[in-house]
Amino acid sequence: MSEESDSVLIARAKEDPEAFSLLYERYIKNIYSYIYYRTGNHHDAEDLVSRTFYRALKHFSRYEDRGAPFSAYLYRIAHNMVANWHRDRSRRQVVPLNEMMLSSLKREQPASVAEEKDEQDTLLEAVRRLPPERQQLLVHKFVDQMSNAEIARTMGRTEGAIKSLYHRTLVALRQDLLGKANGLDAA
Amino acid sequence: MNEKRADNLLLAHAEALLGHPEAMLEAGVTDEEQHELTPLFTLAEQLRRCMPPVQPSAAFVHSLGKELAHSAKHQVAMAKRMRRGVLIGAATVGSLVSIASVVGAAVYLISRLRARSHAQVQ
Repeated sequence: MSEESDSVLIARAKEDPEAFSLLYERYIKNIYSYIYYRTGNHHDAEDLVSRTFYRALKHFSRYEDRGAPFSAYLYRIAHNMVANWHRDRSRRQVVPLNEMMLSSLKREQPASVAEEKDEQDTLLEAVRRLPPERQQLLVHKFVDQMSNAEIARTMGRTEGAIKSLYHRTLVALRQDLLGKANGLDAA
Repeated sequence: MNEKRADNLLLAHAEALLGHPEAMLEAGVTDEEQHELTPLFTLAEQLRRCMPPVQPSAAFVHSLGKELAHSAKHQVAMAKRMRRGVLIGAATVGSLVSIASVVGAAVYLISRLRARSHAQVQ
């Protein structure tokens, strides 16, 4: 993969299509992870990743490099794509194929495995209820395994703000899970 | 425990989960702090387990990359053609303006000369 900085590649990509391909190769996995954890299935993740990169390319001539990583621009587009996807989905109320397959798989698994899977699903659903920037932070931290400095640069914040956001995210997530558990107990 | 200390300990714990155990040692967590933060530490451990790295399929990456490269090439070529068009247009307009100004100047001079000779005759 290219060692050139984002700024160099961005400047080159205005004239040289190959440079845009290098930016694509650099960020495809991160954008895919982000979208996958926000949608919860591979099929929609692939669709939204394609749209994200096409949108980035379409508006690339107007993109101004202000020193932020190119990924910040891609995450912004990806965030809008996912928000539109959630809006459309809430109108249609679709059950994704992955979920249907998972629930049928669960029925075929031993109880302990199914229980663990249920716990994981509950946690991931709670993660998806968090505000987008908190979801982004968790994906960067645990999936992409970025350093705090990298997360701060990508999200346009200070490292101190990232530390505090991580703390508040865990607290909010715990409250959400406790709320759900209490709701289930009451029912 | 103050907020800042909790922020630092939680992040050190996350670093330890991601394979940097020294982060937690450096943070020097006390038993009391450990006890207070246990629910959040446990939650972070669960997150770490249920958020493994995911990869797009190689076929998808390859095919999207190819399509994008083709579109990028087309877009750059279009932009170049557009710039060339604008340049040629500007040059044409510039030339026309120059010709028009030369013709205008000639017409003006001729009309002035004619007016002067007409005045001399009278």
